[in-house]
Amino acid sequence: MSAVDSAYAELAANRGLEQLPGFNPGQLTPLLVEAKGAGLQPALRGALGEGVDGVVGQLAYQRNKKFRFQAALTEVPAATAFAPRVFCIRRGRHTRDDEFYGFEARHSKLWTESTALNERYEVSTSPFQDPNWLRQLFSPSLVDWLGTKPPADFSFELAYGALLGSIESDDPDAVSLAALCDATAHVATRIREECEE
Amino acid sequence: MQLNKTGIGLIAFFGLAGAAFAVVPFLIGVPGEVAAIFASVGVIWVIVAAGLYWYARRQQRKAAHQDWVFQQGLRGTATVLRASSHAEVNEMPLMSLRLELEVPGFGTSEVKRREIMPVFAASRMQPGLVLPVYVNPKDADDFVLVW
Repeated sequence: MSAVDSAYAELAANRGLEQLPGFNPGQLTPLLVEAKGAGLQPALRGALGEGVDGVVGQLAYQRNKKFRFQAALTEVPAATAFAPRVFCIRRGRHTRDDEFYGFEARHSKLWTESTALNERYEVSTSPFQDPNWLRQLFSPSLVDWLGTKPPADFSFELAYGALLGSIESDDPDAVSLAALCDATAHVATRIREECEE
Repeated sequence: MQLNKTGIGLIAFFGLAGAAFAVVPFLIGVPGEVAAIFASVGVIWVIVAAGLYWYARRQQRKAAHQDWVFQQGLRGTATVLRASSHAEVNEMPLMSLRLELEVPGFGTSEVKRREIMPVFAASRMQPGLVLPVYVNPKDADDFVLVW
């Protein structure tokens, strides 16, 4: 059994998650698109956090060089009506090594007053969204939490209700995987709360 | 579509390197035929840079107009009747959409729309999907589809 498999087995045992033979969610978010259909392997299904169910697994793919992410996927369907796309990506993260395109789909950079958030993440959204809702979502408490609490290489992508949290670790241990699950569940809960308000 | 950092780099590279290729060989006294070859390559590169710049400016103007329609337009809905794609631009599907627009004051109409979308967005474009639209109050054919 590899170190990655052991880490996932330990996480499954600690949190009572179901081990899956593999899991292919489809191309739901930009990171999953970069993986060109590569699924999560190994993969676990169950509660990522309190009231948040999902799948956590390793996403590995080749784009000139090998990329490995540990990713946790859950759903917040209500978010689609408020913000179809919100990406909060660690600055400097690379998800491919074979892109030379000069034009991309239009998006808006979300401006926040938080230096800590801006230094650590690049936050972008789909254009034509309600800026007030987004400002409420990125409340001072969430901004503070994002700047200090999640794993250092944590990023998340919300696309049409699919929320993918991820870290860049090649060699995860059960503790870092648990932190990924907790961080993703925290973001999911925060988005859900804002949708309900 | 919008210009990204790679695009700015491409414009700068082709523009500056093209200009250098076109001018420097003559300045340093490279023999005529060789200088002409460099100059031809340089001119082509400058044209490429100018074309990219022109496209970027066009997209910028389009974005500014879309922002205006979003802020001043009438909000309605667009129901996807049909969605297909037969081409890609920069690994993004060029989606051909047939939509039913329902906008207060304009009633219901069926329109076609082509949009370049990332794969994760394109895969959501299924018949029956309802998306918000903002329509220019003076021109029902001028609308922003929110996807």
